[in-house]
Order: sequence, then C-alpha cells, then structure tokens
Amino acid sequence: MAGLEHLLAALTPINLAFALFGVVAGTVIGAIPGLTATMSVAVLVPLTFAMPTSSALILMGAIYTGAIYGGAYSAILLNTPGTPSAIATTFDGYPLAKKGDGDYAITIACLASVIGGLVGALALMTLAPPLSQVALAFGSVEYFWLAIFGLSLIAALSEGSLLKGVAGGALGLLLSCIGVAEVAGDVRLTFGLQTLLSGIQIVAALIGLYCIPVLIDLVAQPGHHLQVDSGSRGFRLGEAVRYLWGDKINTIRSAVIGTVVGILPGAGGSIASLVSYSEARRTAKPGQAYGKGEPGGIIASESANNATVGGGFIPTLVLGIPGTPPDAVILGALLVQGVRTGPSLFTNQGEIVYTFIWGLILATILMLPTGLFIGRYAYRTIITLPKALLVPAIAFMTIIGSYAIRNNISDVIIMIVLGGLGWIIGRFGFTASPIVLGLILGPIAESGFVQAWTIGTATDDRFGMFFGRPISIAIIVFTLFTLLSPLVLARLQKIKEQAHAD
Amino acid sequence: MPTEPRSDTGGAVVSAILIGVACLVIWDSMSYMDKDSAVFPRTFAGVLIVASAAYIVKWLLGRGEAGPGADTGSLPRRVLLVGIMLGGTMAMPWIGFIGAALPVFAALTLVAMYDPWTRFRVLVYPLIGIAIVLGFFYLFREVLQVPLPTGDLFDS
Repeated sequence: MAGLEHLLAALTPINLAFALFGVVAGTVIGAIPGLTATMSVAVLVPLTFAMPTSSALILMGAIYTGAIYGGAYSAILLNTPGTPSAIATTFDGYPLAKKGDGDYAITIACLASVIGGLVGALALMTLAPPLSQVALAFGSVEYFWLAIFGLSLIAALSEGSLLKGVAGGALGLLLSCIGVAEVAGDVRLTFGLQTLLSGIQIVAALIGLYCIPVLIDLVAQPGHHLQVDSGSRGFRLGEAVRYLWGDKINTIRSAVIGTVVGILPGAGGSIASLVSYSEARRTAKPGQAYGKGEPGGIIASESANNATVGGGFIPTLVLGIPGTPPDAVILGALLVQGVRTGPSLFTNQGEIVYTFIWGLILATILMLPTGLFIGRYAYRTIITLPKALLVPAIAFMTIIGSYAIRNNISDVIIMIVLGGLGWIIGRFGFTASPIVLGLILGPIAESGFVQAWTIGTATDDRFGMFFGRPISIAIIVFTLFTLLSPLVLARLQKIKEQAHAD
Repeated sequence: MPTEPRSDTGGAVVSAILIGVACLVIWDSMSYMDKDSAVFPRTFAGVLIVASAAYIVKWLLGRGEAGPGADTGSLPRRVLLVGIMLGGTMAMPWIGFIGAALPVFAALTLVAMYDPWTRFRVLVYPLIGIAIVLGFFYLFREVLQVPLPTGDLFDS
C-alpha cells in the first residue's frame, strides 16, 4: 500500500523543494486578506503543467495547506480572516493577541494546523475509499441541516444578548440573498442598484465586517495596535505544546470533524472550523473562557480547517467530486496531467497518489518551522510598525484584496460600507460573527432547503424528506443537543446548588 | 409598565431599523417571478422581525442589554478613514489604481499620525508608502494577473 518506496519518491530533493516553496508561498498569500486558498492554488497551477505529476500534486497540496494556515495570521493579528477558513480563529485569536499573547496564539495555531493537516492526510492515505461514501450519502436536505447546525453556533457567539445574535444571524442570511437567486434566477434585494447585482461576496464581507471596525478603532486613538511585551519570549513552543497536550481531545476531535466536513463537497474549511469551534465551546472545561482569548478556540478552528485539506482530497481523488473549492482547481490540473480520478486511482496509479500523500504529509511537517518563522516575523512587524503606516497599509490591503476576488470595484465599496455599518451596530451589541455566520451558511441552507422542498413536493412527502432520513435525524438531534445541553446543565447545576444550600 | 430605567436605547433603535429592513425584504419578495426565490428571504425576514420586536419588548420592560457603546477616541478621524477609503475606491475606475492608491495611502497616513513629524518620518514614511503601493501593484498585476483599473481618464 503506502509503502516506503512512495515515501522515498516523495523525499527527492526536488519534491522537498517544491513542498517548501509551496508552503511558504501558500502561507504568505493566505495571510493577505482577500487572497483565498482557492486563489493561491489557481494562480500557481500553471507552474505545475510542465512538471512530473507527483511533483505537481505535491506543490499544489503544499500551497493549499500553507494558504489555509496563513489565514490564521491576519485572523489573530488583525481580526481579519485571511481566508474564510480562519473565521473561527478570530473569535479567540484576536482577543489573545490584544492581551499581548499574539506570538503564543500564532504558535498554537501553527501546531494545531500541523496536527490537523496530518490527521487529514493520514485519513486520505488509509481510509479514502470507505470515507468517500460519506460524500455520496449527503443529499440536499443533509446540507440544509448541516447549515442549520452551523447556525446554532449563533447561540454561542451572541455576546450579551441572544436576541441580538439571532437578529444578526437573520440579517446575515438576508444579505446572502442579495443578487441573482441561484435556485430560480430572480434578482433579489438589489432595489435597482447595479452595485448589488452580483451579490455580496463572502470574503469581501468578511474583510469588511471584521477588519474595517478594527481600523476604525485603530485610527481613533494613539497607542499601539496590540499590547507590546518587553523582551523576547522566543516562539513559546514549549508552552504551546503543553497546552495542546492538555487539550488533546479538542485537538483530535477538531481534526476528525475537519476531515469529515472536508469530505462533504461544497462544505469547506469555514464550516469545518465553525462546527469544531462550536463543539469545543460546548464541551469547555470550567474556567475556559471561549470568545475572550481561549487558546482552545484557536486549536479547534485551525486543527479543523487544515484537516479539510486531506479530507477534501478524498472525494476528489476517489470520486472525482471536489470536496472544497481549491480541490476543484486541483482536479482540473489533474485532468490536464492526464490523471483519471476514480475508485481505481489508488490501485492503477498508486505510485502517483501515495507519493502525493507522502508529499502532503512532508509539506504539513515543513509547515511547523516555516509557519513559526513567518508567524514570528508577521507578529513583530505588526507590533513594531508605527500606526501611521500600519493603518494605511492594512486599509490598502483590504481594498486590493477585496477587488482581486472578482476584479470588481463594487465588492470593495460593499466591503467598506458593510464595515462602517458593522462598526455602528457593533456599538449597540450587534456583533459581526452572527451576521457573518448567516452570510456564509445562507447559500448552503437555501439551496439545500429549496431542493429538498422541491423533491419533497414532487414525491408528496415533504415531512419525510426533511425529517425522515437517518443522517438528517442525526444532525437534528445533534443540533438540539448543542442548543439545549448548556441550558439543561445550567438548570441541573442550579438544582444541585439549591439542594446543597438546603 | 417598566419599573426599571430603560437601558440600551440605541439597541432598541437598531432593532426598529432592522424591522424596517425586514419589511423592505418582504415587500421586495412580492415581485419575484418564482415563489421558490421568495421562501427563504421571507422566512428569515420573519425571524428578523420576531427577534427585533422581542428585543424592543425586552427594552420596554427595562431589560435591555447594552452593547460596548462608543469608546473614547476621535470621531472625525474615524469618519475620515471611511470617507477616504470610499472616495479612493470610487475614484479608482477614473484615475486608475496607482492614481487613487497613492493619495489614499498618504491621506490615511496623515489621519493615523499621532506622533510629531520629524525629518526622518517626513522622508521615510512617504517612501515606505510608495514601496508598499508599487510592490502590491506589481504583485497583483504582474504575478497574480489581476486586471487592476488603469483609469478611464488616461485611456484614450
């Protein structure tokens, strides 16, 4: 199977050089707000056409895994997810950085990304054919319920008022409807404005809602962006390793969630990180303050999103169905290379596939030193750069990054306007995270809902369509459990305390 | 009748605005050709109305939950930041990427400047700004092949 010969084939100097270059390039591109993992893979794909197939795959895998990790830098240091996969990293990463522990947060993110990436790659190596069946078991209604499960995170993300969180989530879902409806083609909620016709681009909205409020507050006051600690504290690797070891269940659980969600076509790293963050928060130990700078939140998000890399390759290679958007680009490159994806790929072209998987594992391991090094440089740059240069530099990156997604000025205008509005309503307790959650999950929820509704109507069994399928029932039960368990536990605790008092 | 002083009036005002937004969504959804396009926005407009109305009721009962509120800091600088970014972006199709980015960078440097202008800063900050703008211009235009606006005014 995945023998030593494939490892040795992956270990050639040229493959190692490609893996290193891919990780570094991916990390740097992923760190720039607006440049997604999909874009970084797409931009560098032409480089691979003249390469041997396994080397090309290693390079693309390394770019992809590096870009997913790179998104954590801006999430932690600027409160802006560099890629949508890093959205949940902002929840605890930025508060931790604001406390002066940005270096620690980056090291935690790097370690969690490496572990998540390795779990995903090992699943790809050992369990690809059976796990690929999971992708086929998910129909439109399961996607709808998965999106609803993601939306249940609103309850956890609503700081202060649950009602405001629900309103924010609904607003995000409505914002996701703007533009031409995917299902029926109606033009919705544009009110005659050309700018809104192409809809709200998710990455531009993420940049606006998370980064612009930070800039607005940054420019209003003198002083440093992040708390600066005097003296060098190194990478804080030992401290981070000890924390990860203490939180190993969260790390592994998040990696498994990331792998499984990565297998589902169209779900991707953002949903994986949100679901695993939700689980980490639900199972928090006493004293863990998620949303206020808890390292466990970074672990959950980063472990899960990097695990989607290996997970996403499972349906891509076994079924020819891309698990995530970057996988779609890589699938196209594979076809150019003459690789025929399908169940027989692992036997007919095992040499290429297993060399690639070993290459992915090596790239993930290489991410540790490169990630720590680049992260340290990024952290030092952010904390030492004078505000008069930091503000225009970030503002400039948000503009060019938002523009580059679709080469569209409207996206930049929407990004800035959303950011300004987000800052205003944020003053009154309507936080950005539920809105963003609605924006990300809206399209998945809507297409799943409408397709399931149509099939249910055609088969005259709407109830059975929504509530009668085993995976749907499991997700519904899990959603209810996630929503209700904190309330039940709090109630039981109250009863217990009353009994003690009596 | 409320017995406690009402807090978070701003939150209640935002909730009322959100109800207005939801009504606008429902009104817009009446014009769709396909009813499948209307189901989702109407459903969540309803959720938005219910959640916002419930919050207003809560506020009326004196149980509003105040947000972080406006912290101290310069409002003019905040407004200038958003205005400059928006103005620069809107000007980009006419004066091109570089033509808009350099003045935006310079203006934002002035807005974000709290330290005194020394000779070193006067010389170095503009150079760094030019290097960042041109560096990203090269990266996006030449390496990433992003067609950055060249400017209608200069296209003839």
